Amino acid sequence: MTPFELAEPTSLAEAIALMGEGAGIGDNAARAIAGGTALMLMMKAGVFQPKRLVSLRRVEPRYAEIAATPEGGLRIGALATLTALERSAVVKQAAPVITQTLKTLSNVRVRNVATVGGALAHGDPHMDLPPLLTALGAQVRTVSPKGERTLAVGELYTGYYETALAENELITEVLVPPLAGLRVAYKKITTRAADDWPTLGLTVALQLNGGVVADARLVVSAATNTPTRLAAAEKILRGTTLDTATLARCGDAAVSEVELAGDAHGSSAYKRELLRVYTQRVLREIWGKS
Amino acid sequence: MNITRTINFTLNGEPVTAQIATHQNLVEVLHERGLTGARESCAQGLCGCCTVLVNGAAVSGCLYLAAFADGAEVRTIEHSENGELDAVQAAFIETGAFQCGYCTPGMVLMTRQLLDAHAEPSEDEIKHYLSGNLCRCAAYPEIIKAVKLAAAKRKIERKGAK
Repeated sequence: MTPFELAEPTSLAEAIALMGEGAGIGDNAARAIAGGTALMLMMKAGVFQPKRLVSLRRVEPRYAEIAATPEGGLRIGALATLTALERSAVVKQAAPVITQTLKTLSNVRVRNVATVGGALAHGDPHMDLPPLLTALGAQVRTVSPKGERTLAVGELYTGYYETALAENELITEVLVPPLAGLRVAYKKITTRAADDWPTLGLTVALQLNGGVVADARLVVSAATNTPTRLAAAEKILRGTTLDTATLARCGDAAVSEVELAGDAHGSSAYKRELLRVYTQRVLREIWGKS
Repeated sequence: MNITRTINFTLNGEPVTAQIATHQNLVEVLHERGLTGARESCAQGLCGCCTVLVNGAAVSGCLYLAAFADGAEVRTIEHSENGELDAVQAAFIETGAFQCGYCTPGMVLMTRQLLDAHAEPSEDEIKHYLSGNLCRCAAYPEIIKAVKLAAAKRKIERKGAK
């Protein structure tokens, strides 16, 4: 890594000021560092050569809090570690699919230091939380010199490792709405170890009403530049009872509406077949749950 | 640009002061102090050879800025409560749970973390804690045996202590 100045402000406001004017531009711009597990990889590889890192570890501890909302949703501080999220009783109660997803997200050591905000802001399309939180309809709150704003996790990603965040804009918390009967599964399909980077990620969220699909959200990830909703496939499911013919049409629609990139974890053709098969398989699994 | 600083931390029970560069990782600083049990191997946090405990929690030392150890309690494989091998180390030797030994410090530290959280771990719990540690010699069956033996040894120790 190239040398850098390390600032350790004790407030978030100070941290944002340190990332502003005169702190470099582009790949040399000042970067916020929380756990640093993702950022240090980029710096070791020479992708980022920041002149200044702004550590968030001494800012107000409230940004690491995890709490249930009165409505049954969650407020997750951006500086909560992934281990804190994995072990949180309120998370397990409100959204067990998040707890389950963390079990195979990297490994214990990385989860001990990596933070929720970092996992969302990094913009790596292989990550597990962005597609899951997109399907859950979660939002992030951010702060920058321009003030605060709230945006959907689904709107956060604009391209391969690119986000809608300004260089001096930080995620402060994640708001997860109540599941309210939504049945959700995140399937991380790996071709090597269970905690490897996924070949394909598929998140499915189903709202059933009287045995009929009232709403469906399908999000594909890891083989696309950003977590991507499968609108045509979702539309096929609404109003149906997930009979075999519907499932087959849904799998075909999913494959038709999205370009999947091949990589070291599988060719494009292989991933297309995975998407076709897993769309049907995950829907059937969710449907089977009473 | 100020790229050096002085940090103070507790290293294996002893207070230490170190002059570091801000871009040094924890493994590099430990090596400068002659502690070579934690080693940087994959350099990506995947293999576990660089496992170090910071304030009681395992971290990948190769992805942990040394500057963040300021004020912390750091423990490495070199630490011993009483100058003797503990139940986990003894179990690894008895089961021959290594060939070259390069990954062993990380495996031992992660096994201690596992047994601190789950005294009688299931196969799933063992894999949950150790899936992030690679043994390039593939001594995995023996390592799993070692973990189970270590759990049994600790149980006997607990009974003895009562």
